[in-house]
Amino acid sequence: MEAAAGGPSMRGTVDDGAEAEAGELLPFLALGARADLQAAAVRHVLALTGSGPGRALLGRQAALLRALAELAASRAPAPACDAARALVNLAADPGLHEPLLAADPGLLARLLGRALDPQWPWADEAAAALANLSREPAPCAAVMGVLEAAEPGEPALERLVRALCTPGYNARAPLHYLAPLLSNLSQRPAARSFLLDSDRCVIQRLLPLIQAADSSVRRGGVVGTLRNCCFEHRHHEWLLGPEVDILPFLLLPLAGPGDFPEEEMERLPVDLQYLPPDKQREPDADIRKMLIEAIMLLTATAPGRQQVRHQGAYLVLRELHSWEPEPAVRVACEKLIQVLIGDEPECGMENLLEVQVPEDVEQRLQQLDHHEQEQCEQEQQVQEGPALP
Amino acid sequence: MKKAPSEINPRESPDLACLQSIIFDDERSPEEQAKTYKDEGNDYFKEKDYKKAMISYTEGLKKKCADTDLNVVLYTNRAAAQYHLGNFRSALQDVMAARKLKPCHLKAVVRGALCHLELRNFAEAVSWCDEGLQIDGKEKKLLDTRVKADKLKRMAQRDLRKAKLKEKKEQDQNETLIQAIQARNIRLVSGAAGEDEDSASEGPGALSLDGPDAENPCGARVTLDEQGRLGWPVLFLYPEYAQSDFISAFHEDSRFIDHLMVMFAETPSWDVEQKYCPDNLQVYFEDEERAELYRVPPENTLLQTLQHSRYSVKALTPAFLVCVGSSPFCKNFLQGRKVHQVK
Repeated sequence: MEAAAGGPSMRGTVDDGAEAEAGELLPFLALGARADLQAAAVRHVLALTGSGPGRALLGRQAALLRALAELAASRAPAPACDAARALVNLAADPGLHEPLLAADPGLLARLLGRALDPQWPWADEAAAALANLSREPAPCAAVMGVLEAAEPGEPALERLVRALCTPGYNARAPLHYLAPLLSNLSQRPAARSFLLDSDRCVIQRLLPLIQAADSSVRRGGVVGTLRNCCFEHRHHEWLLGPEVDILPFLLLPLAGPGDFPEEEMERLPVDLQYLPPDKQREPDADIRKMLIEAIMLLTATAPGRQQVRHQGAYLVLRELHSWEPEPAVRVACEKLIQVLIGDEPECGMENLLEVQVPEDVEQRLQQLDHHEQEQCEQEQQVQEGPALP
Repeated sequence: MKKAPSEINPRESPDLACLQSIIFDDERSPEEQAKTYKDEGNDYFKEKDYKKAMISYTEGLKKKCADTDLNVVLYTNRAAAQYHLGNFRSALQDVMAARKLKPCHLKAVVRGALCHLELRNFAEAVSWCDEGLQIDGKEKKLLDTRVKADKLKRMAQRDLRKAKLKEKKEQDQNETLIQAIQARNIRLVSGAAGEDEDSASEGPGALSLDGPDAENPCGARVTLDEQGRLGWPVLFLYPEYAQSDFISAFHEDSRFIDHLMVMFAETPSWDVEQKYCPDNLQVYFEDEERAELYRVPPENTLLQTLQHSRYSVKALTPAFLVCVGSSPFCKNFLQGRKVHQVK
């Protein structure tokens, strides 16, 4: 989702002149305006949304926002697409949520409608805007509310899950951004309740998406959703059991080619056996970290730990640890390994971290650890910046 | 009628026959007749007489009545009967016919998923389950079938990966073996008569290590040990008594005499003259192309002999002739033939 696309950009300085200029765009953004002027005006607005001051400026122009929201629903492709993208950028800025929703109270419902419309060409942009909006608790609750009100007979999230999981649901839009939207919604107990309903088949349909090669946004959203679901301790037994069998799906992206001796191989879950020599691990470090976090959550209870051990997690994590280039992920991996080989000893397992460390060296190591952690955190903050690239 | 109507003898039970003729009277509407056939089929079904049930349903469908729902049920029920008869493809056809009339008929979807499961179309089975669960998200049979089908699908994928890896491993092993043999300049010849392949001049893999060429009576194959040395299955032929010995793993660096000492520590049962002692034995190989014999000093290693310019390994199983040098047989055997002495 690029911020700026053609047209003059107004960066840096914002003054009354700029405000007035922005206001002058308004007539050209009206639905009946001349097509070429309208397209140019929208492009201009899109360029504005690329910068903080630009967005702030737009945030003060309620009528402009309203017009933009209208245009995003337009049948005319050029303005609709740019308007949709402008909304995405605006939605990425938490400071703009209130002005946006104040300018267009029905925005969430209409965005949802478009995101889930199998014919709508800019459905992914609508989904992205919703994904951005739902990062904040209030809009998130509001989206949930809209979903619940939409189809009284059907569970609120069913359409969303279906749109995400059905290949070719929308022939003109990939709908990857439904995944981060779902991830945000899964922060709410009601959403998790539906996802974890053992009388239904919901979470099972998400599992294959972990391997979606075409989009890290999709993969990340799905893994985030699953991780949030793993907070529900009461469902661990079901999640780890045969009806869902979540663990192999979480381990597969962390597994490399793994040439294990036959005996060890046969003890791994079916999905991890005999992986080809060119097996790639999940390329996105953040997603790898979320996967490890999800598995870590599943080890919260003793029976859960048993299951995770029993299903071959240690082998995969051991190999991952020696391969893992990202320090933050490596640390998470170590912590999980420690849990797996921890106080309930199982014979036959190597203790990767078994080292007798003298006390003064131990202290130095801890200091280094702390320093490393700080560095990792700094790096992450720099990355997080604007919500969507 | 509590029992399903079987063949009714009008003479024995005229009332029943009369009733039946009323029920199956052609003057009734097609819908009514079809419904009767449906009920009849259901009765047979309950008695697990699936063949008769199928026939009844077929009769009902033949009426081509206008009641879509009835036809949907007839197709679906016939599919169930076919399923229990093990005719899964026919059952699938019926289910698809039912769904063509009424796409959301859940029983048809369930049956279809079960058929795909039996036919081992696991991905299709899962797909049908998902379709069915869109109609009723809590359908227990669909949930269970989906779990089963998904598990079986993943196991089938594992089996495929396993087979692929095994094949690759074997290919690599064969490659290494062929290269080792070629590096030694050992001439290989196919087992089939009249075929000659000079592996020294052709590319790698010219001779396949699979198939009939690699097979010998005991199924033993050429092997490469950890030190990179070859071990061959070797045939010793004793033309005097039309006997043979098979050494399954003759290390290429071991000498003929080493093996002969062990094998002839005691004279074999067929050696009536008890003359086959290690000291007496002579080893020959035949150059088939020129019909000439070569005498091999027993102190030579197998490798040295195989590398002889006139030696060809046939069907990946080196063969040698052994007889007692001083014996009349041997003298006779060698008469009129050109014999070379290998150094």
